[in-house]
Amino acid sequence: MVNLNTIPPKNNREYYIAIGLEGSANKLGVGVVKHPRLASHQSGDNSHICKAEILSNIRDTYITPPGEGFLPRDTARHHRNWVTRIIKRAIKEAKLTDPKLDIDVICFTKGPGMGAPLHSVVIAARTISLLWDVPLIGVNHCVGHIEMGREITKAENPVVLYVSGGNTQVIAYSENRYRIFGETLDVAIGNCLDRFARTLKISNAPSPGYNIEQLAKQCKNKDRLIQLPYTVKGMDLSMSGILAYIDSLAKDLFKENKKNKLLFDQETGEGLVTVEDLCYSLQENLFAMLVEITERAMAHVNASQVLIVGGVGSNVRLQEMMAQMCRDRANGRVHATDERFCIDNGVMIAQAGLLQYRMGDVIKDLKDTVVTQKFRTDEVYVSWRE
Amino acid sequence: MSQEIIDTVTQYCTKNIPVTLISQGAEAAIFTTPVHPYLQNTNEDEVYIIKYRPSKKYRHPTINKALTKHRTLSESRILAKLFQIKGIKVPKLIACDPYNGYIWLEFLGEDLPNGFGFSNLKNYLWMNATDSYHDNVKNTLVKVGEQIGLLHWNDYCHGDLTSSNIVLVKTESGGTWEPHLIDFGLSSISNLVEDKGVDLYVLERAIISTHSSFSDKYNEWILEGYSNIYKKHGKAGNQRLTEVLARFADVRMRGRKRSMIG
Amino acid sequence: MTTVILPQFEGTEINIALYENVKNSKEIRAKIADLPYALIDAKAIISGEQLLSAIHRALIEVNYNKMRTKSLHSECLLCLSPTSNIGDAFKKFGILDNSTSIIAVHIGAKKEEINYDFIQGTCIEFTDENLGRLADKDYISKIYKLEKTFRPETNSDLSRAVVDAILLRGL
Repeated sequence: MVNLNTIPPKNNREYYIAIGLEGSANKLGVGVVKHPRLASHQSGDNSHICKAEILSNIRDTYITPPGEGFLPRDTARHHRNWVTRIIKRAIKEAKLTDPKLDIDVICFTKGPGMGAPLHSVVIAARTISLLWDVPLIGVNHCVGHIEMGREITKAENPVVLYVSGGNTQVIAYSENRYRIFGETLDVAIGNCLDRFARTLKISNAPSPGYNIEQLAKQCKNKDRLIQLPYTVKGMDLSMSGILAYIDSLAKDLFKENKKNKLLFDQETGEGLVTVEDLCYSLQENLFAMLVEITERAMAHVNASQVLIVGGVGSNVRLQEMMAQMCRDRANGRVHATDERFCIDNGVMIAQAGLLQYRMGDVIKDLKDTVVTQKFRTDEVYVSWRE
Repeated sequence: MSQEIIDTVTQYCTKNIPVTLISQGAEAAIFTTPVHPYLQNTNEDEVYIIKYRPSKKYRHPTINKALTKHRTLSESRILAKLFQIKGIKVPKLIACDPYNGYIWLEFLGEDLPNGFGFSNLKNYLWMNATDSYHDNVKNTLVKVGEQIGLLHWNDYCHGDLTSSNIVLVKTESGGTWEPHLIDFGLSSISNLVEDKGVDLYVLERAIISTHSSFSDKYNEWILEGYSNIYKKHGKAGNQRLTEVLARFADVRMRGRKRSMIG
Repeated sequence: MTTVILPQFEGTEINIALYENVKNSKEIRAKIADLPYALIDAKAIISGEQLLSAIHRALIEVNYNKMRTKSLHSECLLCLSPTSNIGDAFKKFGILDNSTSIIAVHIGAKKEEINYDFIQGTCIEFTDENLGRLADKDYISKIYKLEKTFRPETNSDLSRAVVDAILLRGL
């Protein structure tokens, strides 16, 4: 029996307020979320209908010049520089007059992610916790995405495809764990797209993946797909080989290596392939692999819904393909969120953290607030579901 | 979707080959038919399997075409190779159309008595749950282990080794069951101990989840048969066995998946 | 003569005749290019299953992929072969001057006229028993390159290995 009302809200209010701090990669996000205390939460499996109200959702992204990725040290410095300002803005926008009285719990990303940026943010979290005398909760980043997605879409028990810069996983819930059914064996999908964007030297604003998506849309030879390795291995997939191959094609294209038969007509020397074609083929290939392993997981657990979360989840083409797959399965439905929630943000950390808090799980000692680069989704005990 | 697949297969097979859908997974649909694609039936009860890989609308047609061909062939090729390995029992390949994604196979197994369903390992263990430590059960499970041992010793990995993918065929004398491995859709040639460890782990999980009360004994017998095969090969065999079993324990510890960095 | 219609390709009729004690192989070979038949040396065939699986594959190739040779009859010889070399297939499965047992095959629309009278030999029933008797198993193992990897215990095991090779040739 799940009782989400185990811990009463502060000061006899009828609602909970949580603030969430996220900074596991190049996005720094702070969000404030409010849950009404409802009788329906006394029992039953209702963690996906919290009626959460998003009071604020502030984010600042560390954007590097074209051709460059973000390094841990520089990203950490960005987060340190901005975290105070972003917290202040989030508090102000949420119209919280006194965080000391208003906030029930401070949630931070415990992992997985890049070490240095995680550290910068957890230090801010510890500071405000001591300052305001508010308890802390460490949240698994992936679980944050999943819980936010469930709350926004009201998908009760979906298979989750989590696709971002650092992760590529197909997840299904079973016996109080988000279990990983399939995942990448090497690089993450977002990382693969980011690195290809670097090779193409296209802009990192607003995000490299977004720009690849736009280029892919402009592809004029959609019927002439460039064949790339298709590397699904059971429920898992591998992407490093695809990246290496398409990278080499892009390099040949830029160097105008006329010997490459795939790229240049051997008689006239005319170019056969454009950057747009490469982007299109890469997306079609990678996304087909993602949809395939998601379908396998759905067949395995007999699920009809899919929830796509993570930064790459805001890609419209991926959503389209997933929707097509679901239409072809009986009663299938796909749920996706828009970029406000797909891309890393503070609200999702607050949402998952608040669920944990309401189940009575809270950090008692500051020494338990250590962040970790490695933190598997299935390590978290999901007490708020049946 | 199901209906669409049935329609496609019916059209392909023509009215002369009536088909019945018996199962549908994410990747392939399995049909049975009483008609052989090129031989006159000698036995009226004979049935054959048609495995069809439908094209996926979400996938680019070029990828669809290449994948269908590649996977149909790779499964057929593995079946052909395995048949030539002495002792391994797999269904016979009858025909294969890689351009359209069809494989015709021999049908193995039968219905178990008393409504226990089709004679795969899973149902067989259910049937014997009342007398689960019977010598016949042990005998069958040791043979299951031997089949997997032979597969792995020859550097093939099944990739989806569940108790439903092991079919029991009654021997001609009728007394005992001969385990056959089926569904090589996810199989590969691999000399990695990791893949072998995962195969063993997947089967162990399948047995634990469906027959939990007796699973310890069952898994012990399977491993007994598995080890028998390796031990026949002397010192090298023992060494390879130790490696596989160590990795199997390792895979079990971490629950199949690798540990992960952010 | 045996007539077979594959259920999947209803419009095509296959006529097969098996001859032993053939005396005029040399003569037949001289005019082989003009004969609208596939003529196969029976020593290379272990079973009906082997021949028919090759014909089935030929029809699949022709209907769903492409024809690699000039006619369905030569396609049938190619499909019997474990390699994709057409000349090689004719050498291994076609008849020689000294061939004494021949399988004549005609593949075509229904009611086409078929006349195997040009073969001087004894027409016997196209059965696995007769084929097994006329087959040269060592030769078959050799052309399908089975002798190193596989020692069949029965004709049906050999046939199965041969069918596998036919189905997977060149793919």
